[in-house]
Amino acid sequence: MARTFEFHGGVYPPERKQRSLVPVRHATLPSHVVLSLDQHAGRPARAIVAVGDRVSVGTPIARRDGMISADLHASISGTVTHSDALAITVEGDGHDTWQRLPPLDWRSVDTEPLLARLEQSGVVGLGGAGFPTHIKARLGEQQRIDTLVVNAAECEPYITADDLTLQGFAGDVLDGAQLIASLCDARQIVVGIEDNKPEAIQALEHAMATSQPLPVTLSVIATRYPSGGERQLIKALLDRDVPHQGLPADVGVLCHNPGTLLAALRAVRDGEPLVERLVTLTGDALADPGNRWVRIGTPIATLLEEAGLQRATLDQLIEGGPMMGTSLADTDGVIRKATNCLIAATRQELPPSPPESPCIRCGACEDVCPAHLLPQQLHWYARAKDDDKLAHYRLFDCIECNACSYVCPSHIPLVTDYRSAKTRLRHQRLEAAKAEHAKHRFEWRQARLAREEAQKQARRQARLAKQTSGQPTGAQSTSPQADLRSLRIAQTAAKAAVRKAEKNLARAAQQDPGESHEDLETQLATAQENLRAADAHLADARNASAPQETR
Amino acid sequence: MLHASHNDRRLLRPAPSTGSIMRWVIVATLPGLATMTFFFGLGVVSNVLLAAAFGLGFEALILRLRKRSLHPLNDSSALLTGVLLGASLPPASPWWLIGVGMLAAIVVAKQLYGGLGHNPFNPAMVGYALLLVSFPTYMTLWSPPQPLWPEGLWGQITGSASLAQIDGLSGATPLDAFKHKGAGVSAGDFWAGQPLPEGTLNAWRWVAVAWLAGGVLLLAKRLISWHIPVAMLGSMMVMATLLHGFEADRFASPWLHLFTGATLFGAFFIATDPVSAATSQRGKLIYAAGIGVLIMVIRTWGGYPDAVAFAVLLMNLGVPLLDLYTAPRPAGRPPAPAKERS
Ligand code: SF4
Ligand code: SF4
Repeated sequence: MARTFEFHGGVYPPERKQRSLVPVRHATLPSHVVLSLDQHAGRPARAIVAVGDRVSVGTPIARRDGMISADLHASISGTVTHSDALAITVEGDGHDTWQRLPPLDWRSVDTEPLLARLEQSGVVGLGGAGFPTHIKARLGEQQRIDTLVVNAAECEPYITADDLTLQGFAGDVLDGAQLIASLCDARQIVVGIEDNKPEAIQALEHAMATSQPLPVTLSVIATRYPSGGERQLIKALLDRDVPHQGLPADVGVLCHNPGTLLAALRAVRDGEPLVERLVTLTGDALADPGNRWVRIGTPIATLLEEAGLQRATLDQLIEGGPMMGTSLADTDGVIRKATNCLIAATRQELPPSPPESPCIRCGACEDVCPAHLLPQQLHWYARAKDDDKLAHYRLFDCIECNACSYVCPSHIPLVTDYRSAKTRLRHQRLEAAKAEHAKHRFEWRQARLAREEAQKQARRQARLAKQTSGQPTGAQSTSPQADLRSLRIAQTAAKAAVRKAEKNLARAAQQDPGESHEDLETQLATAQENLRAADAHLADARNASAPQETR
Repeated sequence: MLHASHNDRRLLRPAPSTGSIMRWVIVATLPGLATMTFFFGLGVVSNVLLAAAFGLGFEALILRLRKRSLHPLNDSSALLTGVLLGASLPPASPWWLIGVGMLAAIVVAKQLYGGLGHNPFNPAMVGYALLLVSFPTYMTLWSPPQPLWPEGLWGQITGSASLAQIDGLSGATPLDAFKHKGAGVSAGDFWAGQPLPEGTLNAWRWVAVAWLAGGVLLLAKRLISWHIPVAMLGSMMVMATLLHGFEADRFASPWLHLFTGATLFGAFFIATDPVSAATSQRGKLIYAAGIGVLIMVIRTWGGYPDAVAFAVLLMNLGVPLLDLYTAPRPAGRPPAPAKERS
């Protein structure tokens, strides 16, 4: 077994995974699904179906908008009954007819079609942030990636979705890992898993015995929250420190959770877009807990009813884990691509927090903070709204893992404070950059007009060239060769600008998947317009000079 | 249906509360207090009870005046301050002396700064220092070992005993005696001359051991981290060893420093007060080492026989700066430029 390392801090909350560690089942096909257009990082997708359209399982119903965004597919077959700016509703016909893409053999197909397939299949990270997988795979084009880390730590209490995914599909998960690793040119795969999942470990060992194109290492780490945090896991497995404001890619690592890898493999091997995922249903208010294969968009209420929800004892409903998840106000929501767990908790199992008392600066929070922060100082300055001090104590390095609030004897909702401080500061930054953003939008409009003009001109030139073929046209300059060269240079520069804008956006979106990156999307769109204009200019010049060149 | 609102915070397992931590610290003082009572009589108990009662009373009064709920009394921090000040005062101190001390501790040092968690100075030590400066005669009278119910106990507590009467009952502490032995007397001659009433040194030693036992309990229950006691005792021992090695006749031995006075009590129960100590681990080490050095300086060259209170208060002053400059390096970050911003 591979050597492992220690990350700083961490806590040992009760695990409570036992109740959902029962065989996986398929949830009953829902009678209707509500597919939110905004269930991935970045911009919402744009609907491409109208009310009344017939769809099958896997029919694309919305396309990505901008770079950081993802396609969306019908998850049941039936009829579109509602469509607005937020979501599309499909009423099921009960037949479950599928529309798949042709299967691809990832071992023989080139990179580009594979990336295109991931993109067309709407595969996003299933661990929480919903970051588009094909964008992450492209990071290998910009930075050297040597290791793909399979994040199977699943350190949050209650959740067992990755555990059961591995128990059932270890081989497929490893194939998915090989697929993604080959896309980003990684040289090795490291699977990180906590030692409280013996059956998944066994399944992995078994699967590893079959031949693996890239070497796979299995690293079993001690169970300690938050070992599944990207930085913590990379530290524990590889002893590498992801730099501040950096990405795992900066130390040559890409992280994926098992569910995402399985979905990626299915998209490629089976041509199945992401329409279904494994969800842990648990909590003492459920009579029949366990993991279910659930179609995206399934109403939470029906799902919980099916799992034996006792409404009388239901006290709190949490989406995600108890440490980092969000509590839902009601059961009216639907399953999203990133929903890994629903906890229907009773008051006994998750009691209300005792009233807050003042911080006594005991330092318990500091001892457990995996980011090496001073949570007590952050708390103090967050309440005082002292922005300079918050920066000094690195508020934005906080990964909101809640380890600090878990141990705080004064029961201070520390992370709630940090979140509101972060929101306030982000808002300030946005306000400060407003003028700049307006300028970028203006530049984009100008670029679009210029591109349209250039394309018009190019079309005219092409027509003209056809009509008067053989005749020199009056529009061209005296030195077409020099002109062509400078246009080619301009085109190359425009291409570089697009790549740079893409890189900036991909980084920002990965660092902060929950945030809007409109401004960077605008800048990218501007660069793309400029590139198209440069293409048009070049085509125009070629058309104009072609007759002469051939003469 | 859902009973908890969207914003209700729910806990997997509530951490032990601040109140329970304070109460555990009080429990950890019991060996020390019991041993002191055994050697110095019930005057120790009266000190602690009176101080605790004053503490709760003043806290409740201020909360009322500030129109706050009395809920914070549950955190037992005023009680703890009372216990600590009571343990620091000479046994059987008069009630008004204790009252004045607790007034300074709870009202001035704690509540005027905004209550628990906001006080830059250790409240018990503010009370102690104020009394030491204002009523030095009362504060430096420390009786030799006493029977459980010492003669004139009641008179002392009620304040009806005159100062002269009290003086007759009191002796010097070992540190005090050694300090005033005179330059010409060698250490060997001094101790050979039986300078202290019988059993005094022995009593102080046992008391120190009992405080140490309480300190070990605090460590075992993880109520304090090792950083502060180790750094404080360590710096004291290093300095005392150097001085003693340099001139044994002038400077008391490290053992005398360790086992008499408030050294061990201070290291485990006073310097570790989380509110007024430095926060980061590195900060705690510097903070506590500073206390140790200051104690040695004041004991050796200063005008007061013991020095824990002043040393702690002086280092409390430096805490904001220490906190700023010793913030730990977050994961994946180069060391922060110290002058980043302040
Ligand atoms: S754990 Fe709570 S009380 Fe202790 S220092 Fe941190 S915030 Fe303050
Ligand atoms: S929530 Fe933030 S401050 Fe608290 S322990 Fe986690 S990283 Fe540290």
